[in-house]
Order: sequence, then structure tokens, then C-alpha cells
Amino acid sequence: MPTKVTRLFPETTLERVLEALERELVEATEEEILGAAHDLGMKPEMKGSAAFLGLRYPSARRREEFFDPQWVARVLNDPRRIWLASRSLPPGPQAPRPSAARRARTRPGVRRSPRTPKEPTGS
Amino acid sequence: MQPLVDARVLRPTQMALALKLVSEMDLLRLKTIARLHARGLPPDIGWEDLLQEALTRVLTGARRVPEQIAPVAFIAGVMRSLRSEHWRRAGEMRARYAASDYRSYRTREQALRDTAPDPERSLIAIEELKTIERLFADDPVVLRIIDALGEGLSAEQIRTALALSKTDYDSARKRMRRCLLREGLTCRPK
Repeated sequence: MPTKVTRLFPETTLERVLEALERELVEATEEEILGAAHDLGMKPEMKGSAAFLGLRYPSARRREEFFDPQWVARVLNDPRRIWLASRSLPPGPQAPRPSAARRARTRPGVRRSPRTPKEPTGS
Repeated sequence: MQPLVDARVLRPTQMALALKLVSEMDLLRLKTIARLHARGLPPDIGWEDLLQEALTRVLTGARRVPEQIAPVAFIAGVMRSLRSEHWRRAGEMRARYAASDYRSYRTREQALRDTAPDPERSLIAIEELKTIERLFADDPVVLRIIDALGEGLSAEQIRTALALSKTDYDSARKRMRRCLLREGLTCRPK
């Protein structure tokens, strides 16, 4: 009799693993939770501990809360937009300074001191 | 799920704490569980959304906590069901797309009845399983236990299959819990 082969889909495996790990976390003792927090340098016993970020205090805002993720992906991957963005960047240190070029093109007579008015003649 | 962005209103976690539905330690425990169940979900659904939504459903009475079940275990179950709900909806959407272009099927009904696994979901699951394995990369006993859990074996079966004593198995579980708690309590967004 041929052996029965059962195919296990990765999503089924993941769900089983997550469910088992969830049970482990539900059973975790308070000492274990405190120990893990202390490992990270957190002190949950203190008011305002970083361990309560996202629980009692709002955590750092995610980009997805403000922008549609598909729109962000489209913008970031659009080569036309990347080219436009690179055009607006300030020039690097090796680039020629426009002020020096401009100075060379100015006419020498422009900065001459104003001529003193002539003395009125008596005639 | 609509993310909660208004800081002026009391968050469901704060409400649950005020009503003594959960303790502060329970909140930390739920945070680690929420991070676990947020694995593989789209980037716009974070662990916070999952936890706040589960607590909202409990607080509003949409999900009623049975007397014999601890609130933490029940809320964890609600988060698990929210995750399943997301994938069920995603599957329905995929089936509708397939039905709108059902050239590969004989009829539209056949396309809607298609129960083939979603390739995107499979790919995400493989990635997430790899991430979990990387988390326990330096502990071969825990890795073998996780493989066995994925196959759906019970604690007794795992101990027999891996030839582990009860003490070895319990200490491996303890290491696993510690690592998961550390991972769950970090300040990373997701």
C-alpha cells in the first residue's frame, strides 16, 4: 500500500506556529515579562516606561497612517520622480561655484566710484 | 481597520486598564501577542491596530468574554480571529478578481468556488516562518520544537519525537518565551 502523502501549506504551518506561540505567551509569568523587559533596559514598574509605548502612550507614527501604502510605493519606484528629485538636490562640493563664474563676467566699470560733480563755472 | 490617530480620546487599552479588565502586566503580554499576530499582515495594519480593535470589540460587547475564560486568553483569541478575517477577506477579493476574468475557468461560479491557496499568502507565510526561525537561530532545540509545532504535534508527541525529558522540554519552552517576550516588547513600529 503506498504511503499517504499529505501536503502542508506554509500558511497552515505559520498559523499553527503562531497559535502555539500565543499559548506560550498567555502562560508566561509576570517574572518572565519583567525579566524580558529588564533585558531591553525597560522598567515597567516605573510610570512612563517605554514598555507601554503604543499601549498607554501613542508610539511613533507610521508612514502608512498618513499615506496610502500603494501610493507611496508608486511614488518611490517611479523613475521619473526619482530623476526629478535628484535634479532638485543641492550641488555637491566638487561642482563649480556659480558665484565665481558670475564675478568673472561682470564688467570692470560697474563698480567704479561715482564721479564727483563738476564745479559750476562762472560764465 | 481605521488607525487611531486622535490622542485626545481615551484609547481602548487605557479604557480596559481603567475598567480593570486587564492589568498592566496583561497589557504587556497582549502587546507581545499582538506583535505575533501582526506578522505577515499588510504594513497598514500594525500590532497596535490589531490590539485596539480586539479590545474595542470586547469593550463594546461585539465579542463577549465567557466567564470561564481569562480575559487575556480571550482577547488573544479575538486578535487571532481578526487575522483570519483579514485573510478570508483577501481571499474573497482574489476570487472576485478571478471571477471577473474567468477565461481559465469554465464558469464564473467555478472561479468563485476555487479553493486553491493564495500564492501571495504562501510567500508571506514562508518569509514569516524564516523570520521566526532566525529569531531562534542560536537554539537548535527550540528550532526543532517550532518545526514540530508547525506539523501540529502535541507536547507529548514532540517530547517523544525529539527524545526530550520533561525538564529539557520545559526549559526550552522557557527560553522560547523569553525570546518572544523580548521581541514583542521592543519599540520597533511593527
